Amino acid sequence: MSARLVVSWLLVAVLLGYGIIQTLITAAKLFA
Amino acid sequence: MSLLSSLDRSHSVAPPGFSRWLIPPAALSVHLCIGQVYATSVYKNSFIAHFDAGQTSIGIIFSIAIVMLGLSAAIGGTWVERNGPRKAMFVSASFWAAGFLVSALGISTEQLWLVYLGYGVLGGIGLGIGYISPVSTLIKWFPDRPGLATGLAIMGFGGGALIASPASRQLLSFYDSGYDSSIATSVASGGALVGLFVTLGIAYFIIMMFGVANMRVPADDWRPDGWDPASVKVKPLVTTANVTAANAIRTRSFWLLWIVLFCNVTAGIGILEQASPMIQDFFRTNGVSSVSVAAAGGFVGLLSLFNMAGRFAWSSTSDVIGRKPIYMVYLGVGVILYLLLATIGDLATPLFVILAGVILSFYGGGFATIPAYLRDLFGTFQVGAIHGRLLTAWSAAGVAGPLIINGFLDAQGKPGTLTAAAYQPALFTMVGVLILGFIANLLVRPVPDHYHEPASPPLERKEAAA
Repeated sequence: MSARLVVSWLLVAVLLGYGIIQTLITAAKLFA
Repeated sequence: MSLLSSLDRSHSVAPPGFSRWLIPPAALSVHLCIGQVYATSVYKNSFIAHFDAGQTSIGIIFSIAIVMLGLSAAIGGTWVERNGPRKAMFVSASFWAAGFLVSALGISTEQLWLVYLGYGVLGGIGLGIGYISPVSTLIKWFPDRPGLATGLAIMGFGGGALIASPASRQLLSFYDSGYDSSIATSVASGGALVGLFVTLGIAYFIIMMFGVANMRVPADDWRPDGWDPASVKVKPLVTTANVTAANAIRTRSFWLLWIVLFCNVTAGIGILEQASPMIQDFFRTNGVSSVSVAAAGGFVGLLSLFNMAGRFAWSSTSDVIGRKPIYMVYLGVGVILYLLLATIGDLATPLFVILAGVILSFYGGGFATIPAYLRDLFGTFQVGAIHGRLLTAWSAAGVAGPLIINGFLDAQGKPGTLTAAAYQPALFTMVGVLILGFIANLLVRPVPDHYHEPASPPLERKEAAA
């Protein structure tokens, strides 16, 4: 059960992390 | 046992010891995928070039999808409640992926109507069913923190665009080496669009099936450790009774909440739809804007972050301060923020960004908190179906918000020549819309007892309703 929990949250974290980092890179241009 | 029947509610009951913390990522895996619908602008210009069509012809694809979202959520809500989240999520994944694949066929054969049918109709059904499918299950797993649970899932819908926008740009560059997303006029080839749609269709299906595999419903007698159901009774506006979806739409509170959601979404969507040109117009002097196209793109990205964060943060806060007070914040503070935006928003870029960002966080919060508000008023019995019916307010606001903003702006001048003053009539109209929503929220009252279902075991009621 704990392995399943880790894999589930890891998938979500990777997807969201990718989106947030990419968005912050784009957003940085606003204050450049 | 067929595949679909193995996904039935009756075959989805969690065994003892099942961790409820598996449910939010299962729900997120659906919402993160269907949230792609907010990232369609990435390939809009490539579509226009490929089909040699106008802005309106291509924009209709998105409009059909949003209308189908509202219709399928409203019509399919009761079916979702009866068949359970796993079957609903599977159906959603199938429609959503099929939408991309049919659209890919339409792109490769240059048949725009196939894209309307694919992404618009099929994809839109996948959107509507997918949006509501995990909501009531999350509420049942987290009776102690329904706002946090639904906020987590619906945050994913906001986060979906954050993922799909950069991923789509990178995939288009991968399939077409001549495409440069940093150049506003660059368009991808038809082959690259086909590659993008096939890749997204397959990838989204796999990710959504991950959610189907992990989703479970709690046993009827399951309770979180240490949670006392009696603690719910002492809170105002929170019922332990249950109301069917058919009865819910006969209550005054349902329609007041419909107005609340409509007003909150109308106000937010007006900014969201106009975000990129808006920030350029607010900081235009002598016909030249101090905000570049790339910087405006960065502003749109920041708004998406505020939208996503608001869904989780504000919805979780509603568990502490209550649903009615949090909507008073969304709508009441929203009025003040809109007034500030209209009057002093052009003083400095950071001020403009913060004001618009907080407004968008309230927009997201309004979406994420509404399922918990419905749970408080109508109980958990058919909350997913009731939520589906309420989402017609979203479809209506999706038409009204852009109409208000664009209608006023069209009267002020041509795009690229507007200034902050041109936005004042539209923003003051939004203030009026928010005040209307604020009053509607104040009028929300507990549902009268005669709408409540008889107090019998939930299973019996479900069978009776089926």
